[in-house]
Amino acid sequence: MHVPDGFLSPQITVPAWIAAAPLWTWAARRNFGASSTESLPVVGSLTALAFVVQGIMIPVPGGTSAHLTGMAILAILYNPGVAFVCESLVLLLQALFSGAGGFTVLGVNALAMGLLGPGAAWLAWRALRGLSGRVAAFAAAYAGMQVATGAVALVLGLQHRLSPAYMPVPLEVTAVATMVPSLTVLGVVEGLYTVATLALLRRARLLDAR
Amino acid sequence: MLAEPRRSQAFVVAWAASIFAVSALADPRALSVATLAALLLFRRGALREARRVLVGVAPFALGLSVASWGWLALRGEAPPVSPFAALTLRTVLIAFVTFSVLRRVEILRALAPFPTLSRLLVLSLAQVHALRLLATESALGLRSRLPRRPRTRDVLRSSGAITVALLTLSARNARDVGDAMRSRGFH
Repeated sequence: MHVPDGFLSPQITVPAWIAAAPLWTWAARRNFGASSTESLPVVGSLTALAFVVQGIMIPVPGGTSAHLTGMAILAILYNPGVAFVCESLVLLLQALFSGAGGFTVLGVNALAMGLLGPGAAWLAWRALRGLSGRVAAFAAAYAGMQVATGAVALVLGLQHRLSPAYMPVPLEVTAVATMVPSLTVLGVVEGLYTVATLALLRRARLLDAR
Repeated sequence: MLAEPRRSQAFVVAWAASIFAVSALADPRALSVATLAALLLFRRGALREARRVLVGVAPFALGLSVASWGWLALRGEAPPVSPFAALTLRTVLIAFVTFSVLRRVEILRALAPFPTLSRLLVLSLAQVHALRLLATESALGLRSRLPRRPRTRDVLRSSGAITVALLTLSARNARDVGDAMRSRGFH
């Protein structure tokens, strides 16, 4: 659900950067200080894995794309702050080296896919983990995907409302084009990916290093 | 002429300002002028970067614009083409400027004032390289174990074991990179 560079004007991207910058500083200092040495290998691996899974993108009408994020797992294992920093890194790497997403829209993409999505996933995980670990992980990833996609669709709709000449696609089109694949396919695949990766991390005994 | 790292930092600041300025343009004529200016400014290596943009960015941006235009046309709204052309041109121009500037700067030197960001970026880049290498090795290993070309079913069946190996090796690699950076006083 990346928004590419050029699809949002500075009217939206600059406030998003202003909102995201202090959150990046706070989350990085809180989660990646000197005491994080032990968890860095797992975080680094999951960030790289997220970079790989987010590289497979399908363009959808309305100005965004459909892909997995792999961020719910970081929110579940650590907290939404770790997911926010890692997702922002993934987005920065993609913007700089593969031209996906972009630098001007980094704040918007990071807030949607790195903060709101993983935040929703973390809340769902906390609410449901008493029932069953797998069900909670699946539901968390599914909820995170829907919230992130919905946020991106809303921002693109807001851009159309601000300037139809700049962004000619209305919210009705963007919302349908993004939410239908997200609700029917992507959310389910993200849920399965999260459950499977958690199981694999346990099998590889990597969670002991946390 | 500025010395490094000031030169790279100045380039990065100018690049950020210019792409935000380009992202404010909505008129196709203004975008065309900006594209010509960018091609003139970055004429050295322009063909290489243009090819990279045409392969990596333009199909995606064009696909988005065509799909959006098609959707609106199917609803009977017959939207004008120029906003969609501007949308695509904006995306392509920003990508061209980004790739051209990145070719000319040392990004890690430019980010030196932000040590946490540099550290995380180095760690993530190292992991991405490690994962790509390991994925290639795993694919070659799978191919060598089968008498025929691996099918999707073969890849899916072995993906669990491959992912475990990838994560284990990647975590080990991340630990090594982290230790190396710490031993050099990075954090």
